[in-house]
Amino acid sequence: MAESAYSFSLTTFSPSGKLVQIEHALNAVNQGATSLGIKARDGVVIATEKKLPSVLVDKDSVKKIVQLTPEIGVIYSGMGPDSRILVRKARKAAQTYFMTYNERIPVAQLVREVATVMQEFTQSGGVRPFGVSLLIAGYDSHGPQLYQADPSGTFFAWKASAIGKNMTDAKEFLEKRYAEDMLLEDAIGAALLTLKEGFEGAMDEDNIEVGIVGKDHEFRCLSKSEIKDYLEEIL
Amino acid sequence: MEYVMGIKGKGFAMVCTSATAVQQIITMKHDEDKILPLGTHTMVATSGEPGDRVQFSEFVAANARLYALRNKSKLSTKAIANFTRGELATALRKGPKSANLLVAGYDKGKGASLYFLDYLATLHSMNIAGYGYGSWFVLSMYDRMWHPDLTEAEALEMMRLGIEEVKNRLVVASPTYTVKIVDENGIRTIPL
Repeated sequence: MAESAYSFSLTTFSPSGKLVQIEHALNAVNQGATSLGIKARDGVVIATEKKLPSVLVDKDSVKKIVQLTPEIGVIYSGMGPDSRILVRKARKAAQTYFMTYNERIPVAQLVREVATVMQEFTQSGGVRPFGVSLLIAGYDSHGPQLYQADPSGTFFAWKASAIGKNMTDAKEFLEKRYAEDMLLEDAIGAALLTLKEGFEGAMDEDNIEVGIVGKDHEFRCLSKSEIKDYLEEIL
Repeated sequence: MEYVMGIKGKGFAMVCTSATAVQQIITMKHDEDKILPLGTHTMVATSGEPGDRVQFSEFVAANARLYALRNKSKLSTKAIANFTRGELATALRKGPKSANLLVAGYDKGKGASLYFLDYLATLHSMNIAGYGYGSWFVLSMYDRMWHPDLTEAEALEMMRLGIEEVKNRLVVASPTYTVKIVDENGIRTIPL
Protein backbone atom coordinates (compact mmCIF):
# COMPACT_ATOMS: atom_id res chain seq x y z
CA MET A 1 0.00 0.00 0.00
CA ALA A 2 1.38 3.40 -0.89
CA GLU A 3 0.71 4.70 2.63
CA SER A 4 3.12 2.24 4.21
CA ALA A 5 5.92 3.49 2.01
CA TYR A 6 5.72 6.75 3.92
CA SER A 7 5.43 5.35 7.37
CA PHE A 8 9.14 4.96 7.96
CA SER A 9 9.91 8.61 8.44
CA LEU A 10 8.08 10.58 11.01
CA THR A 11 8.74 13.88 9.37
CA THR A 12 7.52 12.98 5.91
CA PHE A 13 3.95 13.56 4.81
CA SER A 14 2.18 10.75 2.98
CA PRO A 15 0.52 11.58 -0.37
CA SER A 16 -2.86 11.81 1.32
CA GLY A 17 -1.55 14.48 3.65
CA LYS A 18 -1.11 12.40 6.79
CA LEU A 19 1.82 11.90 9.09
CA VAL A 20 1.49 8.16 9.44
CA GLN A 21 3.55 7.91 12.62
CA ILE A 22 1.04 10.09 14.42
CA GLU A 23 -1.78 7.80 13.33
CA HIS A 24 0.20 4.89 14.77
CA ALA A 25 0.77 6.84 17.97
CA LEU A 26 -2.98 7.32 18.30
CA ASN A 27 -3.35 3.57 17.92
CA ALA A 28 -0.97 3.12 20.82
CA VAL A 29 -3.18 5.45 22.85
CA ASN A 30 -6.30 3.52 21.93
CA GLN A 31 -4.77 0.36 23.27
CA GLY A 32 -4.22 1.91 26.66
CA ALA A 33 -6.48 1.71 29.67
CA THR A 34 -9.55 3.93 29.53
CA SER A 35 -9.37 7.33 31.19
CA LEU A 36 -12.06 9.98 31.35
CA GLY A 37 -12.78 13.41 32.71
CA ILE A 38 -15.84 15.51 33.45
CA LYS A 39 -15.96 19.25 34.06
CA ALA A 40 -18.61 20.24 36.57
CA ARG A 41 -19.83 23.70 37.50
CA ASP A 42 -17.67 23.77 40.62
CA GLY A 43 -14.78 21.44 39.78
CA VAL A 44 -13.31 18.76 37.54
CA VAL A 45 -12.97 14.99 38.02
CA ILE A 46 -10.63 12.65 36.15
CA ALA A 47 -10.57 8.90 36.55
CA THR A 48 -8.85 5.86 35.09
CA GLU A 49 -8.72 2.09 35.21
CA LYS A 50 -5.70 0.76 37.02
CA LYS A 51 -5.23 -2.59 35.29
CA LEU A 52 -2.06 -4.20 36.57
CA PRO A 53 -0.34 -7.06 34.70
CA SER A 54 -0.26 -9.40 37.69
CA VAL A 55 -1.56 -9.78 41.24
CA LEU A 56 2.05 -9.74 42.39
CA VAL A 57 2.43 -6.06 41.51
CA ASP A 58 2.44 -3.78 44.56
CA LYS A 59 -0.81 -1.94 43.80
CA ASP A 60 -0.20 1.03 46.07
CA SER A 61 3.09 1.91 44.40
CA VAL A 62 1.37 2.51 41.08
CA LYS A 63 -0.04 6.02 40.73
CA LYS A 64 -1.40 6.87 37.32
CA ILE A 65 -3.08 10.15 38.21
CA VAL A 66 -0.39 12.73 38.86
CA GLN A 67 -0.30 16.28 40.19
CA LEU A 68 1.36 18.97 38.04
CA THR A 69 0.71 21.99 40.28
CA PRO A 70 -1.36 22.49 43.44
CA GLU A 71 -4.43 23.08 41.28
CA ILE A 72 -3.72 21.01 38.15
CA GLY A 73 -3.65 17.22 37.74
CA VAL A 74 -3.27 14.87 34.78
CA ILE A 75 -4.15 11.35 33.66
CA TYR A 76 -2.95 9.58 30.55
CA SER A 77 -3.94 6.72 28.27
CA GLY A 78 -1.23 4.89 26.36
CA MET A 79 2.42 4.34 27.18
CA GLY A 80 3.13 5.10 30.81
CA PRO A 81 6.84 5.91 30.43
CA ASP A 82 6.06 8.49 27.73
CA SER A 83 3.64 10.21 30.08
CA ARG A 84 6.36 10.49 32.74
CA ILE A 85 8.49 12.65 30.43
CA LEU A 86 5.56 14.96 29.75
CA VAL A 87 4.78 15.21 33.46
CA ARG A 88 8.39 16.24 34.16
CA LYS A 89 8.33 18.89 31.46
CA ALA A 90 4.93 20.18 32.56
CA ARG A 91 5.99 20.49 36.18
CA LYS A 92 9.13 22.34 35.20
CA ALA A 93 7.19 24.67 32.90
CA ALA A 94 4.79 25.46 35.75
CA GLN A 95 7.63 26.29 38.14
CA THR A 96 9.46 28.37 35.53
CA TYR A 97 6.27 30.40 35.12
CA PHE A 98 6.04 30.84 38.86
CA MET A 99 9.67 31.95 39.06
CA THR A 100 9.05 34.57 36.41
CA TYR A 101 5.69 35.94 37.51
CA ASN A 102 5.30 34.82 41.13
CA GLU A 103 1.82 33.59 40.17
CA ARG A 104 0.41 30.13 39.40
CA ILE A 105 0.32 29.20 35.75
CA PRO A 106 -3.16 29.29 34.17
CA VAL A 107 -4.37 25.85 33.13
CA ALA A 108 -4.68 26.75 29.45
CA GLN A 109 -1.08 27.93 29.30
CA LEU A 110 0.28 24.78 30.94
CA VAL A 111 -1.68 22.68 28.48
CA ARG A 112 -0.26 24.73 25.63
CA GLU A 113 3.31 24.17 26.89
CA VAL A 114 2.77 20.40 27.07
CA ALA A 115 1.08 20.28 23.68
CA THR A 116 3.94 22.28 22.18
CA VAL A 117 6.40 19.67 23.44
CA MET A 118 4.27 16.91 21.93
CA GLN A 119 4.22 18.76 18.60
CA GLU A 120 8.00 19.26 18.64
CA PHE A 121 8.42 15.49 18.77
CA THR A 122 6.46 15.23 15.51
CA GLN A 123 8.75 17.59 13.67
CA SER A 124 12.25 16.73 14.92
CA GLY A 125 14.91 14.32 13.72
CA GLY A 126 15.63 11.11 15.54
CA VAL A 127 12.61 11.14 17.85
CA ARG A 128 9.16 9.60 17.78
CA PRO A 129 5.81 11.02 18.86
CA PHE A 130 4.62 10.43 22.41
CA GLY A 131 2.37 7.39 22.66
CA VAL A 132 -0.03 9.05 25.09
CA SER A 133 -3.04 11.28 25.16
CA LEU A 134 -3.41 13.37 28.30
CA LEU A 135 -6.46 14.62 30.13
CA ILE A 136 -5.48 17.69 32.17
CA ALA A 137 -7.84 18.94 34.87
CA GLY A 138 -7.39 22.22 36.71
CA TYR A 139 -9.11 25.07 38.51
CA ASP A 140 -7.71 28.58 38.09
CA SER A 141 -9.05 32.12 37.98
CA HIS A 142 -11.01 31.21 34.83
CA GLY A 143 -12.83 28.45 36.66
CA PRO A 144 -12.74 24.66 36.27
CA GLN A 145 -11.22 23.37 33.02
CA LEU A 146 -10.62 20.02 31.34
CA TYR A 147 -8.22 19.69 28.42
CA GLN A 148 -7.12 16.82 26.20
CA ALA A 149 -3.69 16.78 24.53
CA ASP A 150 -2.96 14.29 21.72
CA PRO A 151 0.30 12.85 20.31
CA SER A 152 0.03 15.26 17.37
CA GLY A 153 0.16 18.22 19.70
CA THR A 154 -3.49 19.16 19.24
CA PHE A 155 -5.31 20.17 22.37
CA PHE A 156 -8.97 20.81 23.07
CA ALA A 157 -11.03 21.93 26.01
CA TRP A 158 -13.80 19.50 26.88
CA LYS A 159 -16.89 19.45 29.03
CA ALA A 160 -16.41 15.72 29.29
CA SER A 161 -14.15 13.32 27.41
CA ALA A 162 -12.71 9.84 27.39
CA ILE A 163 -9.51 8.41 25.92
CA GLY A 164 -8.09 4.90 25.58
CA LYS A 165 -9.54 1.50 24.86
CA ASN A 166 -13.19 2.20 25.56
CA MET A 167 -13.37 5.82 24.49
CA THR A 168 -16.15 5.59 21.91
CA ASP A 169 -18.63 3.89 24.19
CA ALA A 170 -17.56 6.00 27.13
CA LYS A 171 -18.05 9.25 25.20
CA GLU A 172 -21.51 8.13 24.10
CA PHE A 173 -22.37 7.36 27.68
CA LEU A 174 -21.00 10.74 28.82
CA GLU A 175 -22.99 12.59 26.17
CA LYS A 176 -26.17 11.21 27.66
CA ARG A 177 -25.19 11.77 31.26
CA TYR A 178 -23.55 15.19 31.05
CA ALA A 179 -25.48 18.26 32.25
CA GLU A 180 -24.23 21.84 32.08
CA ASP A 181 -25.02 22.61 35.71
CA MET A 182 -23.63 19.40 37.17
CA LEU A 183 -21.94 19.71 40.54
CA LEU A 184 -18.66 17.98 41.30
CA GLU A 185 -20.38 15.36 43.47
CA ASP A 186 -22.66 14.35 40.58
CA ALA A 187 -19.75 14.39 38.17
CA ILE A 188 -17.79 11.95 40.31
CA GLY A 189 -20.75 9.58 40.29
CA ALA A 190 -21.16 9.94 36.53
CA ALA A 191 -17.46 9.32 36.00
CA LEU A 192 -17.54 6.11 38.01
CA LEU A 193 -20.63 4.88 36.20
CA THR A 194 -19.02 5.59 32.85
CA LEU A 195 -15.85 3.74 33.85
CA LYS A 196 -17.91 0.79 35.01
CA GLU A 197 -19.65 0.51 31.62
CA GLY A 198 -16.56 -0.77 29.83
CA PHE A 199 -14.84 -2.35 32.80
CA GLU A 200 -13.81 -5.99 32.43
CA GLY A 201 -14.49 -7.77 35.69
CA ALA A 202 -15.48 -6.24 38.98
CA MET A 203 -14.63 -2.58 39.61
CA ASP A 204 -13.53 -1.64 43.10
CA GLU A 205 -11.44 0.93 44.93
CA ASP A 206 -8.24 -1.03 44.21
CA ASN A 207 -8.39 -1.05 40.43
CA ILE A 208 -9.42 2.53 39.65
CA GLU A 209 -7.97 5.95 40.42
CA VAL A 210 -9.97 9.18 40.76
CA GLY A 211 -8.63 12.74 40.98
CA ILE A 212 -10.61 15.91 41.67
CA VAL A 213 -10.08 19.63 41.91
CA GLY A 214 -12.81 21.84 43.35
CA LYS A 215 -13.42 25.46 44.30
CA ASP A 216 -10.65 25.18 46.87
CA HIS A 217 -8.16 25.05 43.94
CA GLU A 218 -6.52 21.96 45.45
CA PHE A 219 -6.01 18.99 43.14
CA ARG A 220 -5.98 15.68 44.96
CA CYS A 221 -6.62 11.99 44.43
CA LEU A 222 -9.53 10.41 46.26
CA SER A 223 -8.48 7.95 48.92
CA LYS A 224 -9.47 4.32 48.65
CA SER A 225 -12.13 4.69 51.33
CA GLU A 226 -13.61 7.73 49.55
CA ILE A 227 -13.78 5.80 46.28
CA LYS A 228 -15.41 2.92 48.14
CA ASP A 229 -18.08 5.26 49.50
CA TYR A 230 -18.82 6.70 46.08
CA LEU A 231 -19.01 3.22 44.57
CA GLU A 232 -21.46 2.13 47.22
CA GLU A 233 -23.60 5.16 46.43
CA ILE A 234 -23.83 4.56 42.73
CA LEU A 235 -24.04 0.78 42.68
CA MET B 1 18.20 65.56 39.71
CA GLU B 2 15.66 62.93 38.71
CA TYR B 3 12.68 62.64 40.98
CA VAL B 4 10.17 59.76 41.15
CA MET B 5 7.56 59.33 43.88
CA GLY B 6 4.68 56.90 44.14
CA ILE B 7 1.69 56.78 46.49
CA LYS B 8 -0.79 53.95 46.84
CA GLY B 9 -4.23 55.02 48.02
CA LYS B 10 -7.66 53.47 48.37
CA GLY B 11 -8.42 52.02 44.95
CA PHE B 12 -5.70 53.93 43.08
CA ALA B 13 -1.96 54.40 42.71
CA MET B 14 -0.39 57.75 41.81
CA VAL B 15 3.09 58.40 40.44
CA CYS B 16 4.99 61.66 39.95
CA THR B 17 8.21 62.09 37.99
CA SER B 18 10.38 65.05 37.13
CA ALA B 19 9.86 65.98 33.49
CA THR B 20 13.40 67.02 32.56
CA ALA B 21 15.73 65.08 30.28
CA VAL B 22 19.30 66.06 31.18
CA GLN B 23 22.64 65.52 29.42
CA GLN B 24 25.53 66.53 31.72
CA ILE B 25 24.78 70.17 32.55
CA ILE B 26 22.19 70.84 29.87
CA THR B 27 18.44 70.34 30.20
CA MET B 28 17.43 68.87 26.83
CA LYS B 29 13.70 68.73 27.42
CA HIS B 30 11.24 70.01 30.01
CA ASP B 31 8.38 67.72 29.01
CA GLU B 32 9.88 64.24 29.09
CA ASP B 33 7.23 61.69 30.03
CA LYS B 34 8.93 59.07 32.19
CA ILE B 35 5.76 57.16 33.06
CA LEU B 36 5.10 54.42 30.46
CA PRO B 37 1.77 52.59 30.32
CA LEU B 38 1.97 48.77 30.21
CA GLY B 39 -1.50 47.89 29.06
CA THR B 40 -4.60 49.61 30.35
CA HIS B 41 -4.21 49.26 34.10
CA THR B 42 -0.48 49.20 34.84
CA MET B 43 2.20 51.83 34.40
CA VAL B 44 5.92 52.00 35.07
CA ALA B 45 7.92 55.08 36.05
CA THR B 46 11.67 54.85 35.52
CA SER B 47 14.69 56.83 36.57
CA GLY B 48 18.36 56.18 35.83
CA GLU B 49 20.73 56.18 32.87
CA PRO B 50 18.91 57.78 29.93
CA GLY B 51 19.49 54.83 27.57
CA ASP B 52 18.72 52.01 30.00
CA ARG B 53 15.69 53.85 31.38
CA VAL B 54 13.84 53.95 28.09
CA GLN B 55 15.12 50.69 26.58
CA PHE B 56 14.39 48.63 29.64
CA SER B 57 10.93 50.04 30.31
CA GLU B 58 10.01 49.54 26.64
CA PHE B 59 11.33 45.97 26.89
CA VAL B 60 9.03 45.31 29.84
CA ALA B 61 6.12 46.90 27.98
CA ALA B 62 6.74 44.75 24.90
CA ASN B 63 6.84 41.58 26.97
CA ALA B 64 3.60 42.50 28.72
CA ARG B 65 1.98 43.12 25.33
CA LEU B 66 3.28 39.82 23.94
CA TYR B 67 1.90 37.91 26.91
CA ALA B 68 -1.51 39.54 26.45
CA LEU B 69 -1.53 38.67 22.73
CA ARG B 70 -0.44 35.08 23.28
CA ASN B 71 -2.69 34.28 26.18
CA LYS B 72 -5.70 36.55 25.64
CA SER B 73 -5.46 37.76 29.22
CA LYS B 74 -3.16 40.39 30.59
CA LEU B 75 -0.52 40.07 33.28
CA SER B 76 -1.40 41.32 36.74
CA THR B 77 0.64 44.14 38.26
CA LYS B 78 2.30 41.66 40.61
CA ALA B 79 3.25 39.41 37.70
CA ILE B 80 4.72 42.32 35.73
CA ALA B 81 6.70 43.51 38.77
CA ASN B 82 8.09 40.02 39.38
CA PHE B 83 8.90 39.50 35.71
CA THR B 84 10.80 42.81 35.71
CA ARG B 85 12.67 41.82 38.84
CA GLY B 86 13.71 38.57 37.20
CA GLU B 87 15.06 40.40 34.15
CA LEU B 88 16.99 42.84 36.33
CA ALA B 89 18.41 39.96 38.36
CA THR B 90 19.60 38.09 35.28
CA ALA B 91 21.10 41.27 33.82
CA LEU B 92 22.84 42.15 37.09
CA ARG B 93 25.77 39.82 36.60
CA LYS B 94 25.91 40.15 32.83
CA GLY B 95 25.17 43.70 31.80
CA PRO B 96 23.34 45.49 34.60
CA LYS B 97 20.50 47.81 33.70
CA SER B 98 20.94 51.15 35.44
CA ALA B 99 17.25 51.72 35.87
CA ASN B 100 15.11 52.15 38.96
CA LEU B 101 11.41 51.59 38.49
CA LEU B 102 8.08 52.05 40.18
CA VAL B 103 5.37 49.73 38.86
CA ALA B 104 1.89 50.99 39.72
CA GLY B 105 -1.30 49.24 38.74
CA TYR B 106 -4.91 48.36 39.46
CA ASP B 107 -6.21 44.77 39.26
CA LYS B 108 -9.84 43.80 39.59
CA GLY B 109 -10.35 41.92 42.82
CA LYS B 110 -6.99 42.89 44.27
CA GLY B 111 -7.15 46.68 44.04
CA ALA B 112 -4.23 49.03 43.62
CA SER B 113 -0.58 48.04 44.01
CA LEU B 114 2.72 49.89 44.00
CA TYR B 115 6.02 48.07 43.52
CA PHE B 116 9.52 49.47 44.08
CA LEU B 117 12.32 47.98 41.95
CA ASP B 118 15.89 49.08 41.72
CA TYR B 119 18.84 48.26 39.47
CA LEU B 120 20.00 45.51 41.86
CA ALA B 121 16.67 43.71 41.33
CA THR B 122 15.23 44.67 44.68
CA LEU B 123 11.46 44.24 44.71
CA HIS B 124 9.14 45.59 47.39
CA SER B 125 5.40 46.15 47.46
CA MET B 126 4.93 49.48 49.21
CA ASN B 127 2.46 52.20 50.10
CA ILE B 128 4.86 55.05 49.35
CA ALA B 129 8.11 54.78 47.43
CA GLY B 130 10.53 56.93 45.46
CA TYR B 131 14.01 57.59 44.05
CA GLY B 132 16.39 60.45 43.66
CA TYR B 133 17.73 63.05 46.06
CA GLY B 134 14.29 64.61 46.26
CA SER B 135 12.87 61.42 47.74
CA TRP B 136 15.16 61.83 50.75
CA PHE B 137 13.07 64.83 51.81
CA VAL B 138 9.73 63.61 50.64
CA LEU B 139 9.62 60.01 51.89
CA SER B 140 9.69 61.15 55.51
CA MET B 141 7.02 63.79 54.76
CA TYR B 142 4.78 61.14 53.25
CA ASP B 143 5.45 58.75 56.14
CA ARG B 144 3.59 61.24 58.32
CA MET B 145 0.84 62.02 55.85
CA TRP B 146 -0.09 58.59 54.49
CA HIS B 147 -3.03 56.62 55.83
CA PRO B 148 -4.83 53.55 54.44
CA ASP B 149 -7.96 55.42 53.29
CA LEU B 150 -6.08 58.04 51.30
CA THR B 151 -8.24 59.69 48.64
CA GLU B 152 -7.11 60.84 45.23
CA ALA B 153 -7.40 64.48 46.29
CA GLU B 154 -5.27 63.88 49.39
CA ALA B 155 -2.64 62.04 47.34
CA LEU B 156 -2.51 64.82 44.76
CA GLU B 157 -2.05 67.36 47.54
CA MET B 158 0.77 65.20 48.93
CA MET B 159 2.42 65.21 45.50
CA ARG B 160 2.13 69.01 45.28
CA LEU B 161 3.64 69.46 48.73
CA GLY B 162 6.44 67.04 47.84
CA ILE B 163 7.31 68.98 44.70
CA GLU B 164 7.19 72.25 46.64
CA GLU B 165 9.63 70.86 49.21
CA VAL B 166 12.00 69.62 46.52
CA LYS B 167 11.99 72.99 44.75
CA ASN B 168 12.56 74.69 48.06
CA ARG B 169 15.45 72.60 49.35
CA LEU B 170 17.15 70.72 46.52
CA VAL B 171 19.86 72.72 44.75
CA VAL B 172 19.13 71.13 41.35
CA ALA B 173 15.39 70.67 41.43
CA SER B 174 13.51 70.12 38.21
CA PRO B 175 11.09 72.93 37.26
CA THR B 176 8.48 70.62 35.69
CA TYR B 177 6.78 67.38 36.78
CA THR B 178 4.37 64.75 35.41
CA VAL B 179 1.69 63.13 37.56
CA LYS B 180 -0.32 60.08 36.48
CA ILE B 181 -2.90 57.99 38.32
CA VAL B 182 -4.17 54.45 37.73
CA ASP B 183 -7.47 53.20 39.14
CA GLU B 184 -10.30 50.92 38.05
CA ASN B 185 -10.96 53.18 35.05
CA GLY B 186 -7.40 52.96 33.78
CA ILE B 187 -4.53 55.40 33.52
CA ARG B 188 -4.84 59.18 33.26
CA THR B 189 -2.55 62.18 33.49
CA ILE B 190 -3.34 64.80 36.11
CA PRO B 191 -2.33 68.36 35.23
CA LEU B 192 -0.59 70.03 38.14
